[in-house]
Amino acid sequence: MAEVTYREALRRALDEELDRDERVFLMGEEIGRFEGSYKVTAGLWEKYGPKRVRETPVSEEGFVGAGIGAAMLGLRPVVEIMTINFILVAQDMVVNHAAKIRYMFGGKVGVPMVIRTPGGAGAQLTAQHSQSLEVWFAHTPGLKVVAPSNPRDAYGLLKTAIRDDDPVLFVENLVLYNVTGSIPDPGDDFTVPLGRARVAREGADLTIVAHSYTVRRALAVAERLAQSGFEAEVVDLRSLRPLDVDTVVESVRKTNRVLIAEEGWATFGVGAELAARVGRACFDDLDAPPERVGGAEVPMPYSKPLELAALMLEDKLEAAARSLLAESGLVATGGD
Amino acid sequence: MAVEIPMPRLSDTMEQGTVARWVKHEGDRVVAGDVIAEIDTDKATMELTAYEDGVLLKILVGEGESADLGTPIALIGAEGEEVPESDIAESAPPAPPTSSEEAEPPSTEAEQREDEPARSEPVDRPQPTGEVRASPIARRIAAEAGLDLRELADTGSGPDGRIVKVDVERALDQEGGLGRAAAEASIAARAASQGAPPLAEEEVVDATPMLRAVARRMSESKATVPHFYLNAEIDMGRALEMRQELNRALTGEDERVGVNDLILRAVALALVENPKFHRSWHDGKLVLHKSAHVGIAVALDDGLVVPVLRSVERKSVREIARESRDLVERARSGKLKQAEIEGGTFSVSNLGMFGIPSFSAVVNPPEPGILAVGAAVKRAVVIEDAVQVRRIMAVTLSVDHRATSGAEGARLLASIQRHLEQPLLLLAQE
Repeated sequence: MAEVTYREALRRALDEELDRDERVFLMGEEIGRFEGSYKVTAGLWEKYGPKRVRETPVSEEGFVGAGIGAAMLGLRPVVEIMTINFILVAQDMVVNHAAKIRYMFGGKVGVPMVIRTPGGAGAQLTAQHSQSLEVWFAHTPGLKVVAPSNPRDAYGLLKTAIRDDDPVLFVENLVLYNVTGSIPDPGDDFTVPLGRARVAREGADLTIVAHSYTVRRALAVAERLAQSGFEAEVVDLRSLRPLDVDTVVESVRKTNRVLIAEEGWATFGVGAELAARVGRACFDDLDAPPERVGGAEVPMPYSKPLELAALMLEDKLEAAARSLLAESGLVATGGD
Repeated sequence: MAVEIPMPRLSDTMEQGTVARWVKHEGDRVVAGDVIAEIDTDKATMELTAYEDGVLLKILVGEGESADLGTPIALIGAEGEEVPESDIAESAPPAPPTSSEEAEPPSTEAEQREDEPARSEPVDRPQPTGEVRASPIARRIAAEAGLDLRELADTGSGPDGRIVKVDVERALDQEGGLGRAAAEASIAARAASQGAPPLAEEEVVDATPMLRAVARRMSESKATVPHFYLNAEIDMGRALEMRQELNRALTGEDERVGVNDLILRAVALALVENPKFHRSWHDGKLVLHKSAHVGIAVALDDGLVVPVLRSVERKSVREIARESRDLVERARSGKLKQAEIEGGTFSVSNLGMFGIPSFSAVVNPPEPGILAVGAAVKRAVVIEDAVQVRRIMAVTLSVDHRATSGAEGARLLASIQRHLEQPLLLLAQE
């Protein structure tokens, strides 16, 4: 066990997979000498050389396409897109090619490619650079989408994603890179399966479902609620596609209440999807309608006060949780 | 509908504001964006602008008076609109202009409004028309506990009085509590009327949840199910002989077949033979049972549970013996699953082992009937003008008269009797 940052957990997973399988190679902007915008590829160019850590021009559509071609011919590319905002210029490659090739070729050839990219907001990067677009991809059959919330899951899921025979969008988060946590030793060959959620905190009164950085907010809110005598269960989805509905359903059957939180816009989002699934699977278990909360439905403002108002911060999540509890006739007993 | 204008938060630190001047007066037309008043905050005098068009109907906080944040200070509405008295009465009185210590806390309504997260506004719902609004889990718990949600109508803690889980749990808890109060009252009343037994001699304890469930179900049965009773005497001689012979042949101690196992089999065969008896009344509809799921009343240390043996007509006597033994043992050790005490289509209650010659039992709704079985005792019986000694078992069939009739009950009873008096029928698989 080692205590490392989320960034270092990713770097180790890449290093170990490059070392384990010579078909694995990295591709992206400034990932070599400059070690990537967020330093996730630190030291790898020196260790594996320019053939396996390939720098690309600023041409997302071009290098995602190159990755698809390499994957079709048997390599295992891990493509870094500097932030999820820039994936939009490669959307045709991702949605129309990477996601469709196995189907279009009658199953004869797949695209074992990983696209790593961070989403998230909160650093005054404003409207075009502060988005959480993972649901756009989770909407698409043929893609897998994961969004780990901590170093251990980041490490285990990245290894699984690289070994998977289909394209995986691996969503990181700007504000998670410096978060620390323990990861297993390299010899353990630890991996985390795709499509399996994790109960991050147990509780009996309310289920809060989240992914990526929002899991940390949910855990903080659960701590606050505990001071008022409410026990919130926090489910970390880890994967958006495949989506582990069973774990959420099992939790809601226990708590009778569910709040789905996401950093991105709630409309047509993870909360919309889960509310529909839970509404059906847990209809007779619900004490209040499923509730969801997301970022304000505006382009992210630059101004700090406006940015804070638009983000899905703990206060907003807590207010939604308390309101859901109040709807169930549960009123705070103390603390607060 | 008049809209309340609350005392606004015009500085980050203000807790109440004072109306310095009303720019608009009662009866004035107001357009959104108009300055309607000047408010003194803890820092400065700020302008209060209107957010809606209309007429300033009523000023609730006069010039020089203070009000807490969120307290309505004026009403804006349509021209000529009457201001309901209640709107004024419900508005919190203005705080005195001087001391902030004595100021009332902000009204909870206003506080809630401010704390509300970005949620969709509740839609105006039509007034309920005798329909009970309850959350699904509240409905489920109530149904399982046999609680009628209509008793809780309009008392729900959820939005618009929706009955939620805590309301049902509270009601079920109170059932115990009320029972206790009633018990205490009746003890006190008796003491008063007789002037005698000191209360100290007696003790009031909470009934266990199981006893409460039994009390509820039995009261419900006796209050809503019109019972009638049919008696019969069954000559058990041949059945008992056959059982002895069977048990001699069966080596294992836990393979032994009990009298009750034969009765269960006879009941099941009789039920499928008599479909006009084997059905349940449900709100004007009849549920026709295709298979006999027979409940076995099991007495516990202080309570009663009725595990259900499924599809008994399809089981051999030995299977019935094995499965009923398992159910009874697990009933006594409290290890039955919920599914094993549900879905019965008939029940058998046997007090023969206590030497009770005959009794009648209470129907376990929604089952159409229950058979009360007494002890098989030697009796003098007249057969073809001669007195003979026979082992006679008296049984009483209690029937839900909504589901079926006396004649059908008689046919069922005759069929049970035929199977027990010609017990080879019990062994002959169809």
